[in-house]
Amino acid sequence: MFALITDNLPIMLQGAGMTILVSGVAIVLGMPFGLLLCFGVTSSRTWLRRSSRIYQSVWRGTPILVQLLIIYYLLPLIGINVVPVLAAILALTLNTIAFQADIFRGGLQAIPPGQMEAARMVGIRKWAARRHIIVPQIFRLVIPSLVNETISILKNSSLVSVIAVTELMRVSQQIVAATYRPFEIYITAALIYIIINLCLSFAGRVAEQRMAGRA
Amino acid sequence: MATENTTPVIKIRNVTKEFGSFTALSGITLDINPSEVVCIIGPSGSGKSTLLRCMSFLEEYTSGEIEIEGRLLGYKKTAAGMVRDSERNIDDVRRNVGMVFQHFNLWPHMTTLDNVTLGLRLSKRIPDAKARDIGRDALARVGLGDFAGRYPAQLSGGQQQRVGIARALAMGPHVILFDEPTSALDPQLVGEVLDTMKKLAVAGITMVVVTHEMGFAAQVADRVVFMDRGRVVEQGKPSALFTEPQSARLREFLDTWRQRNNLFQTDQARLAAVGDRRTTEA
Repeated sequence: MFALITDNLPIMLQGAGMTILVSGVAIVLGMPFGLLLCFGVTSSRTWLRRSSRIYQSVWRGTPILVQLLIIYYLLPLIGINVVPVLAAILALTLNTIAFQADIFRGGLQAIPPGQMEAARMVGIRKWAARRHIIVPQIFRLVIPSLVNETISILKNSSLVSVIAVTELMRVSQQIVAATYRPFEIYITAALIYIIINLCLSFAGRVAEQRMAGRA
Repeated sequence: MATENTTPVIKIRNVTKEFGSFTALSGITLDINPSEVVCIIGPSGSGKSTLLRCMSFLEEYTSGEIEIEGRLLGYKKTAAGMVRDSERNIDDVRRNVGMVFQHFNLWPHMTTLDNVTLGLRLSKRIPDAKARDIGRDALARVGLGDFAGRYPAQLSGGQQQRVGIARALAMGPHVILFDEPTSALDPQLVGEVLDTMKKLAVAGITMVVVTHEMGFAAQVADRVVFMDRGRVVEQGKPSALFTEPQSARLREFLDTWRQRNNLFQTDQARLAAVGDRRTTEA
């Protein structure tokens, strides 16, 4: 049994690497767009607010698996041929943008409007104030929720196995198909997921404490 | 006091402000002249803070005109009437207007010095080293020269408000608007903020102060404006206004204030009496 696991561990870790890559890129790419969407959702311009909300409803109201398959099969139809891993990253990014926008909105609403007024009264333009005053404070407030979202995307990234991206789940399935030892392999996969997520929680707590120490 | 032919720093003509069906300001006309200290007093809901926020265009006024040093604030005149001005022009018109807020509105993730210098760096594009010099200077003027590296949460309320004043001062404004600067402070911290403001008044900075501190208004103001229900009811030198109020409403307002003050003094007298008895018993 140990031989089975140790023999397959290197290739599973490679798969884990792909899992981290796909979800990591999605989370990081999702942040700037999530922030933009957050400002869209809270905008005073009706058309911008409405279209931002529609985007959110669509991506929060449909299963990731459906989103993934639509993007994977839609892109070639409109003449864009991408490798599966890019389609996977695109789907997860577009999905996490909708959720991150809501997380950031929570943070934004916790910041008193007076912060922006004070910035405007020393001549700082709205976007500069957002960058230097509002966004840094949002991040301090939403670190725990952002860690949750990262964990959630990391777990959901197992779904991209259906479009033949060789991440941890896909690799595990392939090993099981060859060895007929589902129990050992899937337990190992689960352990790898847990270890990655525990590291994420830990990093989140360290980041939180560092920022809390300053004010 | 200003002479006849000086341009007012702020010129307010027939300004109204409506929030839906509620009229917060109905036809305010007021001039703020260079080096003048004007205190605006009045009961809660009289529109004094709204007027101050209109002067800085944090609140859009509904009709009338406000000019800052001769330039129309917030709107531009077109053939079709008044239309809202661009943010860039609004910034430009009010670039010499500073503001101090009731709740300080310091940026909690930045040091005191960064709070004071951010506007210099971002809007006036002053290089870091020079901005820091100006910032340290401003902090020294409010007696916080040694607190440049502190974060707002590490300061008392009075100190935070003085940083708020320094932040306005650093921009080199021609007029500073104070929106109830001591209302959010514990009573024992009010004095240090008022003292700081007195120094600025003596230095000749034009100030408009919305306040409930009658003592400050009586001592420091060149002119006191009494507002009630969205109108300027009465204005004049504090000596005249406080001793010979012309309107019934101001008389009533001052009476209420004196009663409250008397109550406080009686309380103190009673406490003192209790204290005396205790000492005699011991």
